Order: sequence, then structure tokens, then C-alpha cells
Amino acid sequence: MKILVCIKQVMESGSPIKIDPSGKWLQYSQSTRFEINKYDEYAIEEAIQIKENFKDTQIDVITVGPSHASDVLRRALGMGADEAIHILDEAKGYRPPAITAEWITAFVKKETYDLIFTGIMSDDEMNAQTGVMISQILDWPCATAVIKEEISNDRKKMRIEREIEGGAKDIFDITLPCVLTIQTGINTPRYPSLSKVLRAKKKTLQIIPAKTLKTAEQIPSLETIQFPEKTTRGIVLKGSSQDKAKALLNILASKTLV
Amino acid sequence: MTKKITIIADHDGKNIKPITWELFAFAKKIQAHEKADIYFFIIGENTKELAQDISIHSGCKTYAMDVLGTNNYHGQIYKKILIPFLTKNPADYILVPHTTSGMDYAPALSIALKGSCITAVEGIHNKDNVLHFVRAMFGRKIQADLSNKNLGASSPQVLTLQAGSFKPFKLDQNDIKNINIIHEAFDCLEKEMIYKGCQPSPSKGSNLAKAEVIVSGGRGIEEEENYKYIEMLADIFPRSATGASRPICDYGWAKYSQQVGATGTIISPKLYIACGISGATQHLEGIRDSQFIVAINSDPDAPIFQVADICIIEDLTDFIPIIVETAKKKRPTN
Repeated sequence: MKILVCIKQVMESGSPIKIDPSGKWLQYSQSTRFEINKYDEYAIEEAIQIKENFKDTQIDVITVGPSHASDVLRRALGMGADEAIHILDEAKGYRPPAITAEWITAFVKKETYDLIFTGIMSDDEMNAQTGVMISQILDWPCATAVIKEEISNDRKKMRIEREIEGGAKDIFDITLPCVLTIQTGINTPRYPSLSKVLRAKKKTLQIIPAKTLKTAEQIPSLETIQFPEKTTRGIVLKGSSQDKAKALLNILASKTLV
Repeated sequence: MTKKITIIADHDGKNIKPITWELFAFAKKIQAHEKADIYFFIIGENTKELAQDISIHSGCKTYAMDVLGTNNYHGQIYKKILIPFLTKNPADYILVPHTTSGMDYAPALSIALKGSCITAVEGIHNKDNVLHFVRAMFGRKIQADLSNKNLGASSPQVLTLQAGSFKPFKLDQNDIKNINIIHEAFDCLEKEMIYKGCQPSPSKGSNLAKAEVIVSGGRGIEEEENYKYIEMLADIFPRSATGASRPICDYGWAKYSQQVGATGTIISPKLYIACGISGATQHLEGIRDSQFIVAINSDPDAPIFQVADICIIEDLTDFIPIIVETAKKKRPTN
């Protein structure tokens, strides 16, 4: 069994956000910190759990991004992935998912994977498109928001549960090869182990310069980014903590809510 | 030249879902920018009456496709029906609900139809004669304007609409003379993905749906044991329940049956108190129908403050004990 997990490096949540003077993307500084997209950690963990069941499994991880994005590949290797591929793209700014999907599939077409996992979306751009696009380019079946999976003993299909509105789950049998986009809560991602981290540091990553790949043409253009207008429609309570507590209770009492 | 907008309707087999009418409002906004005809498309096992409902209340031609095995959303079948249909009946704009089903097929449509895809659109405006689609990024702390100005003339724009972004719009008429539907049945052979049933939501039967007051905790509680503050605050209200944001359910600090949001329980209490919840899109979607919202968060930029009636910038672990203490003191005099 050969699994490819597509992962992404995103800006650490809680990092201060500054907009570049061009108004087209964020401005990163020396103090900007990056981390692995949290949804992707669940995707890596799920692949590792499959490997624990099917010992002959190989897990490859792939990312698209600038040189510092290699940190997430090393983290994945530290968790237990076997090989790592870095599609190196130093371009700054917004890269629509169609481009990422096209580049990843260009690599996939040269290999023979049984499964491709992605996180359901990325924390930063929140598009939730890349995994579905990869499946369509490859003409593989795809299930999104997967919260449970189990591979059949003959390894030809898997039973999956995908989350739908209201927290119910639709159950499907899906034929391999397929693409699954993984929802949080499917497992508890492990921390990288020290021995694996040390090995990951020495591991050679396969680098593919993005320049060498064909780029999708039908893509949206990012015009501007801005801070959302502060449309606080409510009242911001002021004063000491005690003042705020009293004010809150008075308001709730006046509405007979307490 | 008149453009063509195709809306993919959302329904539960019995009723058209409100997001369909929000998509109609979205289409009307595109129509204000350029001349366009609006069509609806609906897939299901028994779509004739649903299609009539759409056609009466929109005045638009509606294509209805009966396909066995689509009583519940089925991604592979949807794609197998939609792609040939939209190839034969090309649209300039394909409007899809940003639901767990819409998200599952919309990006595939854009690839198959050689178009572009913008997901979770929340707004639209015209700038220098170019349509800008507005969507949230970076945990709703950034808003992005995207356009399709560089798209090829024959390439469709696939757009998914975030629920609650536009007021649902439908015509107030019941004249069956307006019905204009094309109803077909279709067999779809699908072997790669087979529906095996549905696992009910863990929140089914939980008290979240009935509670008058719901107090929820989010990542701001920082540690599992701090969930006690949420319970402490809920205790001062009769008929109250405790809820949680998705991340803390994922951490195992609260049960999934307590999850408030689009993929948990959609709530409509008289009072909702969000503690340490930043306000992810899917959470906001689940609390929209609350009558009164109080938000407690130490981050003044938290998006939850944009929907709250009362905003309190405080750390919940310090502030909740103060509220509880103050409430106890007040009670005898009330």
C-alpha cells in the first residue's frame, strides 16, 4: 500500500497579521512563525495508523511552498512518514488551489499511489478545494470531511464515514485508489518522536522546482486583502471586571434572561 | 451578450433548503451587474414537486433530474450527472451552496468544466466594472476580494456561497402558470462509491436544541480542567446547557454531542454565551439563530465580537468567577 499525504505550512494562528503595502498579501517578518496546517496533522496520523495495520505500507508526504515549508515535511517524517517531496515555489502571494492541485497531480501521475489524503481545508486560506481538485484531475473517487475509515482486507475498497450538516455521518464504500480529505477529530495526532526527528533531520527531501511544472490557467485573481470592517453591532462593556460583571447581569436581568 | 447563471438547488428530499433562496439572491446581485438569465438545477429521487416549488417562487426555468440513489447526497453521482449536464448546457456562473455537499463537488466541477472556483463567498461588489467576490481567510481576520477577470470567455465561474451571507429571496407568488420545468429521469451506474447508510449525529436528543440558555467554551479555556468555568457559568441560569466549539471536542475536552456549529448542533436559544471562542465560520453558522449573544474573549479582534450583542474583553478564567460571585450577591435582593 502506498499513501500520499498532501500537507501545507501555514502561518501560526495567533501570529500578528500585517498586510503587505501592495494590499495583495500578508507581510511576513522575522518574527512571523509558521506551523503545519492542523487538518493535515490528522491526515498524516491516519496514514500512520493504516501503516500500523498494513505493515508494508509506504507513506510519502508532499508540500508546495517556499523553502521554509520543508519544516512541515520534516515534522511529518518525525511523526512516521517515509519519504518527503517538496514542490518548491518561492513566489509570494496567493496561489489558488487549482495550481497546487495541478502540480501535485503532475507528481502523482509518475507514481502509483493507492490513497491520497489531504486535510479538509487549510487554516489560512480556508478554500477546501485542493483534495477534490486532485481527485477530479486523476479521475479518482473522492470523499470529503472523512471522520472514519477502514480498509477492506483485500485492500480494494474502504468503508468511510463523512461528516454532514448537524454532525450526522454518511457511510460509503469507496474503491481504491481514491482521495480522502480528512476532518479533525478522526484521531489524535501523535507528536514526532525524538528518534524519528533525528532521522528526519538527515533525510534528503525530493525537491521539484515549481518552475518546471505546467501551471493551471483558469484561476481566480486575488484583487485585494483587507481587515474586515469592524461591524460590532453590540455593546462593548467597559470598566473594571466587576463593573462589567454587574453591567452584564443588569442587561440580562432587564431582558429576563437571568 | 446575455450570460447564464445556473443555481444548484439544495433540498432534503421534502423541502427546498433556504440556502437555495440565498443563492437566488446572490444570482440577482450578479444580474444587477450584467445581463443574465437564471436557471435552477435539482437532483434527487423525486424532484418534480420540488422543482415546481422552485419554479413558482423564482419564475425561472428549472431542470429537475430524478436519479436513483440520491435521496442522500452522493458525491460521485452528483459529479456524473452535473458534469455532462453543464457541458451540454454551459453556464457562465454556477452557484453552489457552501455546505458539506457543495464543498464536495464544486471544486471538481471547475476542473472538469475548465473553469475557476471560489469557495465560501460572503459578499459581492462591483469595482471598476469587475465583479469582486468577498470571502474570509485567516480565521476570519482577513477578508479577500477575488475576481475572475483573467478567466477565458467560455470558462464557467464556480462559486460556493456561505450560508447566511444574503437574505433569502423568493417571489411571493403561487401562480402555477409560472411553472417552467424540464423533468427527466436518469440512470446512473456508480460502482466506485456505494452508499451504506447514515450514522445519526451524536447530538441527537441532546439538550442543546431545547435549552433556553447555552454557555459554550472554546480554545480560550486553554486546559481541559478549565471547562469547569463553563459549567459554573451555566449553573446560574435555569434551563441551561453547556456547549463547546469544535476544537475542544476534537481535543476530547468536551463531548461531540455538545458541539455547537454547522457540523454539530445548530442552536436557537434565548441567550448564547460564547467563552473563549474566536468565531470560526462553521461556529457562527450554528449560532446565527440565537436571540441574544454574549461573547467573552481576551482577544479584542476575535471575529465572535462582530456578531455578539454584548462584547466583553476579558480572560474567561478570571471573569467567570466574578460574574458568578456577583450573581450570587444580587440574587437575595432581587
